[in-house]
Amino acid sequence: MASVAERQPPLQSTRSFENDENSPTILPWDRFSNWLHCVCVVTFDLELGQAMELVYPSHVKLSEKEKMNICYLSFPDSNSGCMGDTLFNYRIRQHTTTFNRKAATLSTRNAYERRGPVTLQGENAYYHGFVYFRQVRDKSSRRGYFQKSVVLITKLPYINLFTHLIDIIAPEYFDNGEPCLEAACHDIDQWSPPFPGATLHLPIMGVVLQVRIPSKHDKPAQSQVIKPILSPGSAPPIVIPSVNEVEVFKCFQPVLPHIQLLWELILTNEPIVVMAPSPTFCSDTVQALVFMMSPLKYTSDYRPYFTIHDSEFKEYTTKTQAPPPVILGVTNPFFAKTLQHWPHIIRIGEMGPVDKSSWKKKKSSNIKTLESKPGVYTRYKPFLNKDKTVLKRLQKGIQNKRPVEVQDAMLKRHFLELTQSFMIPLERYVASLMPLQRNISPWKQPPRLKPFLPEEFIKTLEHSGPQLTSGLTGDWIGLYRRFFKSSNFEAWLRSRQQEVNQKLSILHLDALCDADLMQWIKDKQEVEIVDLILRLRDKLATVCAPDLPTRQERINQLKIHMDHIISSLPDDLQSILKSN
Amino acid sequence: MAAGPYNYSYIFKYIIIGDMGVGKSCLLHQFTEKKFMADCPHTIGVEFGTRIIEVSGQKIKLQIWDTAGQERFRAVTRSYYRGAAGALMVYDITRRSTYNHLSSWLTDARNLTNPNTVIFLIGNKSDLEAQRDVTYEEAKQFADENGLMFLEASAKTGDNVEDAFLETARKIYQNIQDGSLDLNAAESGVQHKPSTGGRPNPLNTDQQPSNEGCRC
Repeated sequence: MASVAERQPPLQSTRSFENDENSPTILPWDRFSNWLHCVCVVTFDLELGQAMELVYPSHVKLSEKEKMNICYLSFPDSNSGCMGDTLFNYRIRQHTTTFNRKAATLSTRNAYERRGPVTLQGENAYYHGFVYFRQVRDKSSRRGYFQKSVVLITKLPYINLFTHLIDIIAPEYFDNGEPCLEAACHDIDQWSPPFPGATLHLPIMGVVLQVRIPSKHDKPAQSQVIKPILSPGSAPPIVIPSVNEVEVFKCFQPVLPHIQLLWELILTNEPIVVMAPSPTFCSDTVQALVFMMSPLKYTSDYRPYFTIHDSEFKEYTTKTQAPPPVILGVTNPFFAKTLQHWPHIIRIGEMGPVDKSSWKKKKSSNIKTLESKPGVYTRYKPFLNKDKTVLKRLQKGIQNKRPVEVQDAMLKRHFLELTQSFMIPLERYVASLMPLQRNISPWKQPPRLKPFLPEEFIKTLEHSGPQLTSGLTGDWIGLYRRFFKSSNFEAWLRSRQQEVNQKLSILHLDALCDADLMQWIKDKQEVEIVDLILRLRDKLATVCAPDLPTRQERINQLKIHMDHIISSLPDDLQSILKSN
Repeated sequence: MAAGPYNYSYIFKYIIIGDMGVGKSCLLHQFTEKKFMADCPHTIGVEFGTRIIEVSGQKIKLQIWDTAGQERFRAVTRSYYRGAAGALMVYDITRRSTYNHLSSWLTDARNLTNPNTVIFLIGNKSDLEAQRDVTYEEAKQFADENGLMFLEASAKTGDNVEDAFLETARKIYQNIQDGSLDLNAAESGVQHKPSTGGRPNPLNTDQQPSNEGCRC
């Protein structure tokens, strides 16, 4: 790879608009920023401690707080056990107030948010960091060690893809230095935007990654099998089966009998700490927890890797308030004490052969010291009974050395079926709250989704509850009631309401366009006609919002209606309304 | 049927008048958004603001016309006045010239509105006590002599802003109740809704067209 520098002359000179003939509005770095915010190199300076060595591209803005968080989180908390290369990821709060996205990027993003699954939406208030940390002996260094991290900072939760990506970029950087980062970023700046449903070829440092961006309309369960698409005369692409799916089986194997319990804790936003021996296990396990209830979105905060230097350390560890409903992944033994009052603690040992003793549930008060055994420490009593069949099958698989991929697929299917069994009655009930189409009238405000009444919903469970799709027994009603108090429920309901109300707003626009407004204004006074015009303007403003799929012709129609109304008014008023 | 945001029984037209820079748009913004607009652009022509309030259990929609204060726009402001039920006449307590011009604004208001239009005098920028150029007493006396309602207010702090808009509405509503404001007269500036006869108002929830056929 010594030829990288020659292969890719300095960035500025290679960028030109000829690459972008399809959309002339795309500027250098626009495409890059669809995928990444920036790439950072964090080093250990003997005088300063963790220090930011490089941010690429250099024009990217990070606040001081963000830089500090990136610096601390990009190094293992206690690095004695991390010789060689370590990959992990974290999530930090965004601390900048001004986040300027160019218009072109913005429209890409709106389209993306509208068509992508909710669990994969770009995050407004957070960044994800994907770290490749290298610690090796280096005689030339005063401390005798080389310690450095390369980090990808992004808003997209594509755990799998970015882990692959950093695994390709970082070693090249360590071997050949900065020009490799330039080359990598240049490659990424050629990538097509992550459009939901698209299968993309992403060239990076001489190889091509093939990914498929999930779409809202994908059928869950059928994880989209993608075959490499070959183009003649080039090496086959490296297929990344899923941009976001993590290996849940590997992560949950140490706590296998408790998966049902964990699923309930996640569903109801309970505070959870994951204590693990390395940032890799730690972040993988937290990501597996968050993934567990997809396609439902986990809405509260989670930190795959959290340290005592995090700017939210005080906020999250205070003992004066109940633990916040978040998931924290930690490796520092210090947390065993700081967080011992947390209600649910998952302690992961070294991965590998599983010590069966970790399969027993433990009372959380037992956890006092770092030496505590792996396992789940909680007083929580699950609402649902264990699915013994699935557990038996998985355990048998372990004995028979069934391939991990197969075990993983089985476990994912189990979670999916569980989440779906839980959600189908809710979806059905919400569908029944939809107002009838015939209640949409131009002479009334658009009807809205009827209110969600928990007790009414509970009544529907008797004949169309989860028992229709799941064999699991237990207190489903109790679990629903608990779910109603969670932010996961709130966010789910809000997004349903929004969807329905947007749909109704558009149908209402249709009704208005077809109405005879000119007839209506005939016997009205000026004040009332002005009122109508002001409301039509409001209506236009709402339906023109960028996240709404409003048909342009309808908007034009309503504008014509308005022009007609205005021109029926006295001249002086007309000139006011037109100038306004 | 659930009460919605368009559920109101009257519309009152208000206008805000006064010299340039006295804070007319800021008062409107404070009233409709409950926020102070620090750097407000000059109003060009007219801006509209609306807010639904409640007086004696009745929902009333205020349709507020915010006019440009610049002299060169005065000529076209005639249509602003037409049909106004309330006029908020604003001066700046830190600039005497804006107070001195009140009589000419008042003449316009009297000539171009109907006799029942409620005129409310507002001395804005009451938060700038140190720079005061017009005393409360003299303004109060001016208001009394001309039969105006009066308050000093601050669009910046929000002090008395709500009161000025609401007092005006209460006065108009009272005029309707005691019969001194004839709703049937054209250009009363008040629209009672539901309008009698004709078809119901578009977007308005308190109308149920399905009942139309069986009015008994």
